[in-house]
Amino acid sequence: MSFAPSTTSVKLVLLGEAAVGKSSLVLRFVSNDFQENKEPTIGAAFLTQKCTVGDRTIKYEIWDTAGQERFASLAPMYYRNAQAALVVYDITKPASFIKARHWVKELHEQASKDITIALVGNKYDLVADDNDSDDSLRKVSMEEGKALAEEEGLLFFETSAKSSHNVNEVFVAIGSKIPEAKPVTEELGSRPGNVGRIDLSGPALRSNLSDCAC
Amino acid sequence: MAPKRRPEMSQVSSNGHNEFVFGEKGGRGKNLLSFLKNLSLTGPLLNSHKNDNSEEINRNINSSIYGEMTYGYTSPDTGGLILPKAAASLKGKRLSLLSFFPYGLSKIDTTDGSGTQSNNGGSSRLASPLFRHATNSMSALEASLRPSSRKSGFTDLDDDWDAQIDDVDPEVAPVVLKPVARSSTNDMIDLLHPDLMAFAPSLRISVERKPSQRHPSRDRALMDSHDRQAEQEVRFLNQMLTKLTKFQNILLKNDGTIDLHELRKLSWNGVPAELRASVWQLLVGYLPANKSRQASNLMRKRSEYAEGLKNVSTQILFKDDNVISSTANSSAASVPGGRDSNNRDNSVNKDKALYHQIKIDVKRTNPSMPLYSLAATQQSLKKILYLWAVRHPASGYVQGINDLCTPFYQIFLGNYIWQLQRKAAHKTGAPDDSPLFIPGILDDNDTQEQLILEDPKLMTYTAENFDPSRISDRVTAIIEADTYWCLARLLENITDNYINEQPGIHRQVSDLRNLILKIDPELLQHFEAEGIEFIQFLFRWMNCLLMREVSVGLIIRMWDTYLSETPLGFNLFHVYVCAAFLIKFSAELKEKDFQDILLFLQNPPTANWTEKDIEVMLSEAFIWQSLYVNKGAHLR
Repeated sequence: MSFAPSTTSVKLVLLGEAAVGKSSLVLRFVSNDFQENKEPTIGAAFLTQKCTVGDRTIKYEIWDTAGQERFASLAPMYYRNAQAALVVYDITKPASFIKARHWVKELHEQASKDITIALVGNKYDLVADDNDSDDSLRKVSMEEGKALAEEEGLLFFETSAKSSHNVNEVFVAIGSKIPEAKPVTEELGSRPGNVGRIDLSGPALRSNLSDCAC
Repeated sequence: MAPKRRPEMSQVSSNGHNEFVFGEKGGRGKNLLSFLKNLSLTGPLLNSHKNDNSEEINRNINSSIYGEMTYGYTSPDTGGLILPKAAASLKGKRLSLLSFFPYGLSKIDTTDGSGTQSNNGGSSRLASPLFRHATNSMSALEASLRPSSRKSGFTDLDDDWDAQIDDVDPEVAPVVLKPVARSSTNDMIDLLHPDLMAFAPSLRISVERKPSQRHPSRDRALMDSHDRQAEQEVRFLNQMLTKLTKFQNILLKNDGTIDLHELRKLSWNGVPAELRASVWQLLVGYLPANKSRQASNLMRKRSEYAEGLKNVSTQILFKDDNVISSTANSSAASVPGGRDSNNRDNSVNKDKALYHQIKIDVKRTNPSMPLYSLAATQQSLKKILYLWAVRHPASGYVQGINDLCTPFYQIFLGNYIWQLQRKAAHKTGAPDDSPLFIPGILDDNDTQEQLILEDPKLMTYTAENFDPSRISDRVTAIIEADTYWCLARLLENITDNYINEQPGIHRQVSDLRNLILKIDPELLQHFEAEGIEFIQFLFRWMNCLLMREVSVGLIIRMWDTYLSETPLGFNLFHVYVCAAFLIKFSAELKEKDFQDILLFLQNPPTANWTEKDIEVMLSEAFIWQSLYVNKGAHLR
């Protein structure tokens, strides 16, 4: 098997408060599966998934980080050199939205300048039926989410890992914002001079590794 | 193949042990040679483990011998018998041999994570009358069986050190033994009267499935299968008995103080399930070795726990989760997430946020085991974790501590069930096991306890199939308190793992990296070439003590050893165990690239592991520790 020449590897990191559904979003995207009580992630979990965007294939290398505050000191290791980030909150938990704001700020300050960030309000299934009623479980309005996304220049989605609502859409949207023939090796990716420059060595190197049998 | 087994057979028969009598078989003569021949007939099965078909045959035989009820093989689609390549050769034999174990082994090798769950209900059958009864008649057998019955590795330093050296021979299939619970009370009969069970229809072997056995007389094959079963049975009983007796000798010694040094030595190689709760409590230093102080000490500690809980629950109402979660949200909202920017002016809100974190984690603790989805269990875990966190503010609650709580909880819950079972059995004539009970748990005035004692299904209960909501508040508080204090002792050993920045884990990771540099430099080189950072996979191994990588039943076995180390092995010794764990997969890992290495190490193939695998790993860790510790700052 060999990758089409247009396969792009994208390092993506998920950040957000504990129990907002980061791992569940990834599980839905990678395995199209859902588990009601998924064990808390410790440190970070690594997963991969391919995704077709237009005429090219994006291969996501996903770092799904743990949400608890104590593990936050590990986060820079994972968002360093990431080309994309999903900042996830739970639309029924206002605290998680505040936390999301914090992560966006940290990414803008610390991560690579051209990182593509998507703000994701998860657990849409909990409010899908009673969006307008007063006793809705929704605690963060879609407008609040959109406003933050516009302010910070982020993609924005409300998703449900449980119902799979909008999950693939997030990854497709990120994929289409990732420039073609993006440098994929970590060293190159972090070098500011490479921003926007077409770098042929990156993808070629990666596909050589995968095709080493030939 | 079979020929490789022959020298062993001839040795046995030339030693004049080819004829022997099974103690429980009423003097029916049994021919060991025919037993061994049967063993050798398994050759094709043993050696064709690469052939999926043979695994299928093997499993079919198993289920025809033991029925679906007792035999624990999982379906092929879960990969129950698909072995990791590296260990396949050895393991294939082990699995095949196990298929001849009549019972008491049914759950040895399941993939569901609860396979080797220590099981007080089951072992209670083994605990008393049977063993005592069986000893005399079987002791004569023990010698004659020894040449072919290697004990599982490192089961006993005192007696089997020599046997262990022999075990290096991979042609001798290692035997892994584990008492398990049976689902039916009728099963009591089979251990007490194995000869009755020999005629039970469920034990009939279906020889047609083995091509080589198609023509020989069916009766002969039937007899041979009885031989096999009886042989394994005797071997199994002897091992369990020897071990149990040694533990009992230490625990019941009459001079008032338990010899902890001896206990550690013995426990390092595994603790019998029914004694595990008290042995663990002794090893962590919760239950005093001085027997005259045990009852009073436990009473004090248990009331300390209750007091502590009373103080915190004036702020947090454990029962009213809705109130808590909504206020927890607003409180967390007032703390916009700076890493340590907790709002110190509002400690109540902080506590509520803490409680919220614990609550959401308890719900998703060990989701594969039904016990942990029960409300009563979750309630207990919440209290234990919350109290520990508020009393250890430097660390607080860190995800993963919830995992570490579970072995203690289920062992202590299982111990209560076991005490009830022994008490009920004593009423009907079984020996009195109460000298082995952890003090202060049973109470005749506890009406809920009396109800459980009268439950006709009492003997079938284990920590895995019992709903703790049936237990009185009094006993619930005791189990929680015991769990709390033992967890606290464990965490004392690894405090640095959970404080800010988790320096303990980073130290362990760097120690392990240096250790790999010494033991397996090629692996390190390969990791570096692929851009693997150790912290990427080791963080979880350290933070959860391998509980996410290995089933809880095997973790409990590992803790027998960790708890026997001085200082406790959760810190330093664990690094050596992780090294052994990693190196076990070294050959495979060296073939993989960055991505596959990480995916592999996040989900290492331990589903088919048995206690034997764990014991080998622990032994390797022990050897490396002896080699490298005290040799200067080797790890730095």
